[in-house]
Amino acid sequence: MRSLNYVQRVSLDFTGTLFPHAICLGDADNDSLNELVVGDTSGKLLVYKNDDSKPWITRTCVGMLTCVAVGDVCNKGKNFVVAVGAEGWFHLFDLTAATASKADSTSQHEALSFEDQRPFFTQHIPANTKVILISDIDGDGRCELVVGYTDRVVRAFRWEEPSDGSDLGSGQLVQLKKWLLEGQVDSLSVNPGPEGLPELMVSQPGCGYAILLCSWTQQDSSGSGEEGLATTGSEGPSRDVVLHLTTGRIHNKNVSTHLIGSISKGSKEESSKCGLFALCTLDGTLKLMDSSEQLLWSVQVDHQLFALQKLDVTGDGREEVVACAWDGQTYIIDHNRTVVRFQFDENVNAFCAGQYTCKEGKNSPCLVYVSFSHKIYIYWKVGLERMESTNLLRVLEEKPEFRSHLKVLGVDAEDPATVRTLVTNLLYKDSQM
Amino acid sequence: MSREPYPFVEDSFSRFPSQSNIYGLCQAGEQELLAATLKGKVVCFRYQELQQKIRPVAKEVQFTYIPVDAEIVSIDAFNKSPPKRGLVVGITFIKDSGDKATPFLNIYCDYEPGSEFNLESIAQSCLNLELQFTPFQLYHTEVQCDDGGSETVFLLSGHDQRIHLYKENASLHQFEEQPVERLFPELEQLPSNVLWLDMLSIGSGRRLSAFGCQNSCVGLALVDQTGPDVLQSWRVQFDSPISTVLLFPLSCRPEPRQPSAGESIETGGYNLLVTSTIEMAVVYRNVQEHGLSRSVCLSESDQWDAVLSALVIDLDFDGQKEVLLGTYGQELLCYKFQPAVGGGDGQFQLQWRRSFKSPLLSIIYLDLTGDGLRELAILTLKGLHVLQHSLTCTADLVLERLSQRVSALTTSGFGSELESDGAQEAEEKEFTDQ
Repeated sequence: MRSLNYVQRVSLDFTGTLFPHAICLGDADNDSLNELVVGDTSGKLLVYKNDDSKPWITRTCVGMLTCVAVGDVCNKGKNFVVAVGAEGWFHLFDLTAATASKADSTSQHEALSFEDQRPFFTQHIPANTKVILISDIDGDGRCELVVGYTDRVVRAFRWEEPSDGSDLGSGQLVQLKKWLLEGQVDSLSVNPGPEGLPELMVSQPGCGYAILLCSWTQQDSSGSGEEGLATTGSEGPSRDVVLHLTTGRIHNKNVSTHLIGSISKGSKEESSKCGLFALCTLDGTLKLMDSSEQLLWSVQVDHQLFALQKLDVTGDGREEVVACAWDGQTYIIDHNRTVVRFQFDENVNAFCAGQYTCKEGKNSPCLVYVSFSHKIYIYWKVGLERMESTNLLRVLEEKPEFRSHLKVLGVDAEDPATVRTLVTNLLYKDSQM
Repeated sequence: MSREPYPFVEDSFSRFPSQSNIYGLCQAGEQELLAATLKGKVVCFRYQELQQKIRPVAKEVQFTYIPVDAEIVSIDAFNKSPPKRGLVVGITFIKDSGDKATPFLNIYCDYEPGSEFNLESIAQSCLNLELQFTPFQLYHTEVQCDDGGSETVFLLSGHDQRIHLYKENASLHQFEEQPVERLFPELEQLPSNVLWLDMLSIGSGRRLSAFGCQNSCVGLALVDQTGPDVLQSWRVQFDSPISTVLLFPLSCRPEPRQPSAGESIETGGYNLLVTSTIEMAVVYRNVQEHGLSRSVCLSESDQWDAVLSALVIDLDFDGQKEVLLGTYGQELLCYKFQPAVGGGDGQFQLQWRRSFKSPLLSIIYLDLTGDGLRELAILTLKGLHVLQHSLTCTADLVLERLSQRVSALTTSGFGSELESDGAQEAEEKEFTDQ
């Protein structure tokens, strides 16, 4: 298994403790560059920007923050920061204007006014939140907010405003649906189904997952309603929950499981509509499947995987699966099951991967580790030319002009020793002529 | 060609069970590395071809006669000078059985035809020599024999202020210690314990040999190998123990490139790089003419703790060599020589630096992947990093130089190229397509 060492990292100060889902990367201030958003157990929301070790913005929320997210939750064409506490307080922040006010306050050495620091909107929703997702789950092109709870419940909300209300503050979250599941929900994700429509997926213990049907859309089209009835007849407490258990070596039916969907396949294979999703368990099983339930690969490792992300490290448009274990062992696996390992040298409190603007003023793939030593480490140069080890001859053979040049020079392209000598001479001798 | 700030991509990292030291890495054969770790383990690193894929493999080699309580000090390996065949591996270690520590030198080589290069079988045939001194660097160099042939020998420095020579006794099929003065008169009467030794054959039967000592002394000698006679020797005193000395030729091209200056490229002559544990690294220029009188400092090289390893290679393929320094402060530094405009000495400028996760101990540049392009192997306190040149950029460079060759061929030979003209046209089409 290929293993390597990332070195270029920045460390950020973070003195609190956090829940594993209270961290995310996203464009919080709508400048097209991503920030790191972290919520801690004392209710502080921290936003880090670039390689600055101090938070760019700090906000105070009510209660213990269990999950944060960045997205266009209000469907206004711009991102908001969402922070939800365990007690059920939902906070919405608009940080778009923060850049300007931040500049003012630093020049005048004056704290931000209370008005600026307050959330732009708060609402109480049912308590015991665990994980949230901002995404279009019913295929109407508008984002919904999905909240997973510690009591095996998942609720979907939509931001609704009175049609005449131009004031942003007049809107509120309206619950669309509540699903009750058999097992703990550790992650929420959206994945294109076999028809190409988004499906809401949640992880279930024992390397399982469930697809939650958005019944409010099925009232409109009777055809899909019939289908929903047919598929949900098997088991599950609700007909709107379709439970799937994956096969294979599952040692423990109750093992904590994570899931991530909509893994990009790159432009080449986009023709097939099935979305790719990955599963990982705390006992070290990793799987990549598509929405027609076909298993692409399965990997067994002897590390306790607790976080699953996707990240395009090779820059080819295909996203790799990134899984992190409590002890810092990180696996990056591509669609062909090529594995690259990286050992982060400390135990990991929380992990996320994605695009972040650290240095150089542009988004780049990053791995983010929250340690137990009051630091967040961002590895900002994790891009690889390729996942597999290869050599120069293989790269050259893919270029048609290489063969034609060899032919002209009278070099036998099938003789590796001669080609090798030629390459050595070209690189190390030609320049001395 | 645009110059990348840092031209390498890490291809693999192998974590070792225990730490190594500055004498702990050597090349064994064409495409393999041996790394010795403190707790008696030797790891062989190479690339293996399997199912149309190549992958890095770090495997422990069970060298016989290394007891479990041994601590390895140094390792070295060489291929025997032709016409003899075979790989020879030398390992020095200290066996600490509690009350008294005993140093040993084990020399492994297999005389069985067919298995002279087979590491597994070499590791099983051992010559075990007990030493009367604490060993340091194990080095090998080629010497001229009385019969006109050449032979590669081991040189081992020790804490007894001497360097010991181990040479193969052809009739007995084994290595034995021989007096060093007979072949290396310059290594007699050393001022202190030698920490690092380097020799370079400079043609016309001469060699340069340099050593750096624990008491901060650096010695350099120009030797006529036929005698052998010491033609000239120099000494210089530093202020801290010498970590490495390295002899290298440096070609520097007058700018702009003149076709008439084709043969006078080697204007830099032979140079000596000296790194010490506290001071800046120094290059003595053109040593066979000026001795140790013309020195150039490598600025900032003392900023990242002691420099422990050094290597001079051409890593940007421009025909001019760069100086790489590995420091205990976890940095790899790359210096490039800038010729002075108007007859000065010129200077070395820091081109780039790269951080590692642990102190750098040793650097080797070799072709591990078997493609003609060499990789940089860096031994750190925690393991072995293999850095590969960015293949995309290098492939472009190879194609560029190939097409130069092709065009040179097609313009020089006019009549014989009916079919290759067609190929040329096809290529040009491909180029425009891109």
